[in-house]
Amino acid sequence: MSTADGPVLELSEIHTYYGSIHALKGVSLRVGAGEIVTLIGANGAGKSTTLRSINGLNHPREGRIVFQGDDITNTPPHLIVKNGIAQSPEGRRLFPRMSVTENLEMGAFQRTDRENFKGDMDRVFELFPRLFERKAQKAGTMSGGEQQMCAIGRALMARPKLLLLDEPSMGLAPIFVERIFEIVIEINRQGTPVLLVEQNALMALEIANRGYVLETGKVVLEGSAAELKVNDQVRKTYLGEG
Amino acid sequence: MLPRLRGARVTDLIGLTLLGLLLIWLAVNFVKGPAAFIDISLIGLTNGTIYGVVALGYTLVYGILQLINFAHGDVFALSGLVASTVIVSVLGLDEGSSALVIIGGLAVTLVVIMVGFSLFNASIERVAYRPLRNAPRLAPLITAVGMSFVVENISLALYGVNYRTVPNLISHSDVIHIGGITYSWSKASVLIIVIPLLVVLSWFVRSTKQGKAMRAVAQDTEASAMMGIDVDHTIAVTFLIAGALAGAAGIVYLMQFNMRFDTGFELGLIAFTAAVLGGIGNLSGAVLGALCIGFIQAFNEGLGWFAPGSDWTRSMVFGILILVLVFRPEGILGEQTPEGA
Repeated sequence: MSTADGPVLELSEIHTYYGSIHALKGVSLRVGAGEIVTLIGANGAGKSTTLRSINGLNHPREGRIVFQGDDITNTPPHLIVKNGIAQSPEGRRLFPRMSVTENLEMGAFQRTDRENFKGDMDRVFELFPRLFERKAQKAGTMSGGEQQMCAIGRALMARPKLLLLDEPSMGLAPIFVERIFEIVIEINRQGTPVLLVEQNALMALEIANRGYVLETGKVVLEGSAAELKVNDQVRKTYLGEG
Repeated sequence: MLPRLRGARVTDLIGLTLLGLLLIWLAVNFVKGPAAFIDISLIGLTNGTIYGVVALGYTLVYGILQLINFAHGDVFALSGLVASTVIVSVLGLDEGSSALVIIGGLAVTLVVIMVGFSLFNASIERVAYRPLRNAPRLAPLITAVGMSFVVENISLALYGVNYRTVPNLISHSDVIHIGGITYSWSKASVLIIVIPLLVVLSWFVRSTKQGKAMRAVAQDTEASAMMGIDVDHTIAVTFLIAGALAGAAGIVYLMQFNMRFDTGFELGLIAFTAAVLGGIGNLSGAVLGALCIGFIQAFNEGLGWFAPGSDWTRSMVFGILILVLVFRPEGILGEQTPEGA
């Protein structure tokens, strides 16, 4: 849970628009040191918009986003990465005509410490031995599961102080989903807080400390993962029961 | 499944037949006059190389912004005109200058023009395209047409309607002279200037951090931003490079031909066609497409046996463009996009 130093990331009452569409209507959430926090909700509830507000692609019109004590509400995306927030985007978004190695290099784009670079790449290959076998292959030619591994590995290359994961299980075979979630736990255990956006609410609540439920741009429920798992509304809507 | 397969075979057959006829036409011309044929090929190579440098400017910008930068041809023309001023009025080079002075003077001109026009091109991006980054696709396209007129009119205002030329600084004496085949230093200078530029460009895009950022932005702009790449900066660098290439092309063109304010329109059209022919966004494609057009033009205008002649050059160039696009809409080399990407 969040420590005495305050949360790593805090969103206060943010309102984000796509053109004239009011997509986020006052979302507040926080991620504490060492936590896995999950954001669940149906399609169009505003999960990805929340991530786009954090990573600077869609700045909120109102509200504040504070990361490690700095206001990053209107910081451009590349400087947000430099501050320490890295992301594995929805749909992976690898650079399809670049090799796996080049994709990983792009993840470390903002870093200037070349001496640790090799070691970090080895660490990614250790987490995902499959990527090592395919390091010279064009990323666009790999399977969905391999691409997801590469996308997470690419985000780790930034040595993030906060990792954003957008739908890492989407479109993957169950065996890959399990493997991906194991690795998310492993990354978190090594000290990186994670904000996990998932449609697979069951899996997400299984590994998260806390969770927020979004509906039409608002947080309608929040609590520990254990509480949310037994909440009637969550069970009915997101866990396919009732 | 089967009809599709058969359909593909019929179009392939037509394509191969046309290609076969073309090869036969070239072969007969070669047999009838081997020396003339090789001479004409060398002209095609020289012109194609110049088109290629201009085409690279179009394809680099298109690759990263999906914008056809119509102003590029006019930037090329203005750079050639300014180069003529630098060579004739500022440095005062003429046929009588010693070889060392000429080589040194041209090198200085090359550096000054390439640096100057890379900055000029980047300013065009800053003023005319960046403010429209999130506007609908048509807005920057129209702005590009507008910038093309603006730059062309700058050339007109500065240099008037007359053609500009420079003295024959590079000797027309021959590098090679075998039988009837000649290859002059003047033609060779195009390759001597352009090939190192292409090598540097290819190294830059393939191996440097900034070059990789350019490829990343071209493949997925938003994902690049999420990885910490400064997209605006990367686009500015792309325009700097495209401007430098336009400057280099302006100088090599000036060494071969006359230029005036509207030279960039015609040449820009040819270079843009070359970029599409090779596969827009693909760097090797732009050079390959430009060489194809250079050869088509030279063969069409120069060969003796059943060549349509220069009145037909534009029809030939665009006819071949249409044929290639019918059979390979993505261009000769294509964008090398794997499915789903």
